[in-house]
Amino acid sequence: MSEGLIEALGLGVEIDRRRIIDGVSLSAAGGQTVAVVGPNGAGKTTLLRALAGLLPHDGELKVAGHDPSIVDVATCAQNRAYCAQKPVSAWDYRVSDLGEIVGDPVGYDAWLEKLRLGDCAGRRLSELSGGEQKGAHLAMAFASLAEPFGGALLLDEPASALDLSRQEAVRQAIVAFAQAGAACVIATHDLSFARRCDLILVLSEGRLIAAGEPASTLTPKVISEVWGASASTVS
Amino acid sequence: MTATKAFLAGTFLLAVLVALSLSVGPQGFGWGDGGTLIMLRSPRVLAALAAGLALGIGGAAQQGVFRNPLADPGLTGVFGGALFGIALLLGLSPESAWQRAWFIPAAAFGGALGTSALLVLCGSGGSTARLLLTGLGLNAFTAAGTLVIASRSGESRELLTNGAYGDWLGMATIELTWLPVLLCATAAILLIPTARSLDLLSFGEDAARGFGCEVGTVRRKAILLTALAAAAATCLVGQVAFIGLLAPHLARALVGPRHAKVLPLSALLGAILLLGADTAGRGLWPQAPLSAAAVSAVIGAPLFIWIARGAP
Repeated sequence: MSEGLIEALGLGVEIDRRRIIDGVSLSAAGGQTVAVVGPNGAGKTTLLRALAGLLPHDGELKVAGHDPSIVDVATCAQNRAYCAQKPVSAWDYRVSDLGEIVGDPVGYDAWLEKLRLGDCAGRRLSELSGGEQKGAHLAMAFASLAEPFGGALLLDEPASALDLSRQEAVRQAIVAFAQAGAACVIATHDLSFARRCDLILVLSEGRLIAAGEPASTLTPKVISEVWGASASTVS
Repeated sequence: MTATKAFLAGTFLLAVLVALSLSVGPQGFGWGDGGTLIMLRSPRVLAALAAGLALGIGGAAQQGVFRNPLADPGLTGVFGGALFGIALLLGLSPESAWQRAWFIPAAAFGGALGTSALLVLCGSGGSTARLLLTGLGLNAFTAAGTLVIASRSGESRELLTNGAYGDWLGMATIELTWLPVLLCATAAILLIPTARSLDLLSFGEDAARGFGCEVGTVRRKAILLTALAAAAATCLVGQVAFIGLLAPHLARALVGPRHAKVLPLSALLGAILLLGADTAGRGLWPQAPLSAAAVSAVIGAPLFIWIARGAP
């Protein structure tokens, strides 16, 4: 198992002179799944975009051996996959087109099957539900990381809008990537999903509030402080 | 329809149109003794083919870059910029304009590039209203500039007025057309390889970069080549709106939205539409021919309104 595929030290992101992420540090080794949780506006999406090299940052960052803000995006994309929270498409592609666009139609079709979307391949994106569209974009992201070993999988709310069986399929896909040697970072509001990860990062107002194994991190005190709710309510 | 069938049918239709266009003249149908009229008409047909090809693929590329189905170099002010560039050259230095074959295309390219840059600065961001309003402003500004220059330069007045009405095909000669035709073909050939990047861009900047697409490079390349295509087409035909809008929409309706198919098919359909419009304008009213721009607007304007109804 490789060590520290994703290493961030004092990571900060500023957008329009507003500090969205401030001094966040994290380390994810190959084989680990890391959940990033926090209330709305905590900076989860911004953190993932920074890890993916989509935003300029300060502090130190290495993802699969590179600082993603320095190396070109093509090099970045060889070793990391990213799926946005709300994928969109300007044109009404057929679901099967996405495999050719991502450059691996066979791998994409296999992921569609695993996400129980195989029968949607001939349909247009506009004919799919929101959850099915999200699944098709997840299959693109999964297919783009052809070699999981030594790579990073960055997913923003992967299970949102999915039904229970597809949520489980996505979780199994993430576990499969981790078992194959990838470091997986998942931003999520689903705390039960987060509790099944190896590590949890709790963000609030762009700052790291707690980090560690789920049982010792998502304590009633942290939940109360961050979400302003009782642990039983959140669970 | 499969892409192969669409290309075969389009190529057949284009061949028929070329034959028809070569045979249409003020005296009716005919190729003259020993095909002499063919030689006379062929520069015009070649110019319409090349300009249509550039308009079609330029429209498809601009729609891809702006992720907007209503983008069209005619509506977004890029053609206006190209004509304004030519007007500036004719206004400032009328004698030098015709001394070198590349002066006019260079001036058109400068104007098209200038308006493209302003369009990117002020009109990009995904909103159709913002894009079209910026295009409206650019069109109004460049049209006013062209008219001011035309009104103050006696020699060029008729030329520029005809250009504004898309009525330059009639003056096509081999000497005037060879360079713009070459530039149209170059822009089209160089735009084809951007197809996959334009597909990735359709998922938004983050997703495209996430999949390894150099968004800035692709945008600059596509905008530069679209400006080149628009400038070269303007040199051949003047300002023609709607071909760049119509061709990509027809292409997507026939073969779906993949840019690997849409870009070349838009080029083919653009050539069919412009040559068809020019042939119809000459063939249906031989004594008082209509310009290709007027005929294409008759078809394109209602379609624009229909598409705009469903725009975000």
